[in-house]
Amino acid sequence: MKLIICDLESKCFEKIFSDLPDDTMVILYDESIHHCTGCFGCWIKTPGVCVIRDKYGDMGERLSKCEEVIIISRCCYGGYSPFVKNIFDRSISYLHPDFVIKNGEMHHKRRYKNKIKLHVYFYGENITEKENLTAQKLVKANSINMDCNVGRVLFFQSIGEMEGQIL
Amino acid sequence: MRMAFINESPKTKNSASAYLLQDLKLLFLQDDAIISDYNFNKPSLSKEEMEQLKDYDIFVFSFPLYFDGIPSHLLNCLIQLESFLASVREIDIKVYSIVNCGFYEGHQTKLAIEMMENWCSKAGLKWGQGLGIGAGGMLPMIKNVPLGQGPKRNLEKSLRQLANNILNGSSGENMFISPNIPRIFYKFAAEMGWRKSIKANGLKKKDLSIQR
Repeated sequence: MKLIICDLESKCFEKIFSDLPDDTMVILYDESIHHCTGCFGCWIKTPGVCVIRDKYGDMGERLSKCEEVIIISRCCYGGYSPFVKNIFDRSISYLHPDFVIKNGEMHHKRRYKNKIKLHVYFYGENITEKENLTAQKLVKANSINMDCNVGRVLFFQSIGEMEGQIL
Repeated sequence: MRMAFINESPKTKNSASAYLLQDLKLLFLQDDAIISDYNFNKPSLSKEEMEQLKDYDIFVFSFPLYFDGIPSHLLNCLIQLESFLASVREIDIKVYSIVNCGFYEGHQTKLAIEMMENWCSKAGLKWGQGLGIGAGGMLPMIKNVPLGQGPKRNLEKSLRQLANNILNGSSGENMFISPNIPRIFYKFAAEMGWRKSIKANGLKKKDLSIQR
């Protein structure tokens, strides 16, 4: 299964994607999302599920069913937009709280066995060279923490430029 | 010198971010710095808060690392503040950031600190210095250990260096530290902690590994 996490609203998104493969889940911008409160309830109260009861409590489970995750995000200071970052922050139940040492660094253990390929499409008019570099390092760091592979990481100056370039 | 100490932990109490600001504050006791406390624990700032913030000389941010970066609620606040500051003439604010992470190695906060530097460039503020701290999850548990003792020896040195730079209004290389305990000990203690917490919630140890 593919999961698209995108900070655009549906009208804009439909312009970029006219046809989506059948096995695709899509998460689009939604201002009703709550932010992670750092309670670790998704590890120690309701393991694998966030304790916040909005539409994004099952992000860990959703990621566990994916072979590919496609991120479409405005580039903010070399990272994701607040909405996309919120989805990531609410996804820590994908991982196990215990630690493993990888390449001499501490990271979290896997909860699930699936291997994800992560593609990231950043957009924004004024992405500086430094932000571009930070963003590339960020995707790499995310892939180490999620124990997944990195696919494409591309930068676009506008939403329109992405038409036909993704999938 | 007017400083805003901004705690951006989403937790309302017992956060590592708050304890770090508390420890840093102790190093300014004998100076004539005026320190005001702010909490950015929600994804938006009031107009009043932003109006006040523009008049400070120094911002000291303290927040936890979330998924290799800045927590989403703080990102919202930074975007809002950037946009507000764009309409303010003549701002002269220097920014210092303390980022703590649950991993042992403080250098895993490097990208969040880079993003704060990038934010400063966009918002027209000056970058001072970043301090990345590993094993942040342990800090609330050792809150009563005096700064400079036991596991807080590295922390004392780096906070002192940060405090000196803040007082002189100077910039410095970003610093990254781990606690003065072996990594294996921290790993063991953290994993024991998860087991204790899940049992306290009426679940079993094996439930930590539930797959949905």
